[in-house]
Amino acid sequence: MQSAAIKRPVLITIVCILGFIWIVFSFPGVFAPSLKKMGDWYPALFGILVATSFISYIGLWHMKQWGVRLFLLSFFVKESLLFLINDVNYVGIFFSIFFICSILPYYKRMDINL
Amino acid sequence: MVFWSLFKESVIFALQALIGNKLRSILSLLGITIGIFAVIMVFTIVDSLEQNLRKSVQSLGNDVVFIQKWPWTFGPNYPWWKYMNRPVPDYKELNYILDNCDGAQAAAFMVYASTTIKHQSSSIENVTVICASHQYDRVKNFEIADGRYFTDVESASGRPVAVIGDVLARVLFPNQSPLGQTIKVRGAKVMVIGVFKKEGESILGGSPDTQVLLPVNYARSLIDVNDEDLDPQIMVRAKDGITNDELISELTGLMRSRRRLNPLEEEDFALNQTSLISNQFDSLFDVVGIAGWIIGGFSILVGGFGIANIMFVSVKERTNIIGIQKSLGAKNYFILMQFLFESVFLSVIGGFIGLLIVYLLTLLAGDSMGMEIQLSKSNIILGFTISILIGVVSGFVPAYGASQLDPVEAIRSS
Repeated sequence: MQSAAIKRPVLITIVCILGFIWIVFSFPGVFAPSLKKMGDWYPALFGILVATSFISYIGLWHMKQWGVRLFLLSFFVKESLLFLINDVNYVGIFFSIFFICSILPYYKRMDINL
Repeated sequence: MVFWSLFKESVIFALQALIGNKLRSILSLLGITIGIFAVIMVFTIVDSLEQNLRKSVQSLGNDVVFIQKWPWTFGPNYPWWKYMNRPVPDYKELNYILDNCDGAQAAAFMVYASTTIKHQSSSIENVTVICASHQYDRVKNFEIADGRYFTDVESASGRPVAVIGDVLARVLFPNQSPLGQTIKVRGAKVMVIGVFKKEGESILGGSPDTQVLLPVNYARSLIDVNDEDLDPQIMVRAKDGITNDELISELTGLMRSRRRLNPLEEEDFALNQTSLISNQFDSLFDVVGIAGWIIGGFSILVGGFGIANIMFVSVKERTNIIGIQKSLGAKNYFILMQFLFESVFLSVIGGFIGLLIVYLLTLLAGDSMGMEIQLSKSNIILGFTISILIGVVSGFVPAYGASQLDPVEAIRSS
């Protein structure tokens, strides 16, 4: 059964658009020389995080609960990784928390299906 | 078990779709092939150049300080006018350092000259002749494959003996041992007593394969060892446990006192170390790496748009099949996985071909350039990571769209 389309709030639209722009610009970062110098597997790890974030924005755009869950998961994994390599970006954390605060109030209104 | 059977089934579906549309599949993976090729080729060349350069710099010695007239710093604000009137280091200063420097393990004076080397009817032009004092073998990293180095007596009394490079030995003395034979350096007869071990090309130049080493006390009779054009220098190797900074500090004091500089006067000598070269190349490689990263990054992004486009076409074409699959009980995630696998396969195959082209080119380039170019493990991982990432990112939207189709409307679509 297809679930009825849920109207997307403007705030989530803005969050998603900003997120897609962030994805486009952070994608080339996967093969940044600085990331490669950290270790052979860091670009792969960062690449998985970028892909996960992208998929989570698609989920958010379609007002799906899995989108929020995936967004939270990728946020915590990314920040843990950055904390481990001692490269915490406070501006990034601020924006991510702002995004989370913007989307969480709508969580219950979102579709539970894929 | 159910998951794996569904996984297997979606992989088979994806493969059938790719094989069924060969031309389209090839055209769409070309974008990724070119993108991966561009990025990984740039990284491979940069990594290999960096590796070769570091090897060359290391051969100069990481714990060696070079006392010279000119410093090894370059850039737009290089005050050459301050350096050009400086005196060059001389042999007496070497003796002063050997007598007074506590942090030095060994020190040698040397000059470079370029000349023609002859043996009977064979001759080689522009051969680098290194004229060095006795401790040169303890300061410079090299090995002698055949014969021996100078003895104390030969160095001190300036006997006409030489150690020659592997290439020179093979060209001047084909099919015979060069040891005990004579070569002519600037018209003077010199006996060959040793041959350097073959090292291959060096990115900084100055491979011992094409050099001749003479005792500086003999070379005085052939050339002016204080000639500024021959770049006279003193090489000082630090003792174990003494850092380069400590050695530089001690040498600064010794050289200032030897040249009688008062405390307010600027130094009239340069103390160079190999880290100065590697630091300058580090910044150069960073710039090249970033340029390759930006160009390659966006070319891969364009390749990704190509795959996304093909996937949208693929979904549109198979809409009624999707409808039938869903009406027969296929779950949304099955449809999603099927199209996602298709795009990831396309992308990975494209990336694999790109990596294969890079690998073949590194083999060809390595042979023709005489420099070791290697496709490293980290670049292979990076190539596959980018391919999978592009496949997921560009295939997810069409695949998700397909999974959300209404089965009734999908079957009706023409």
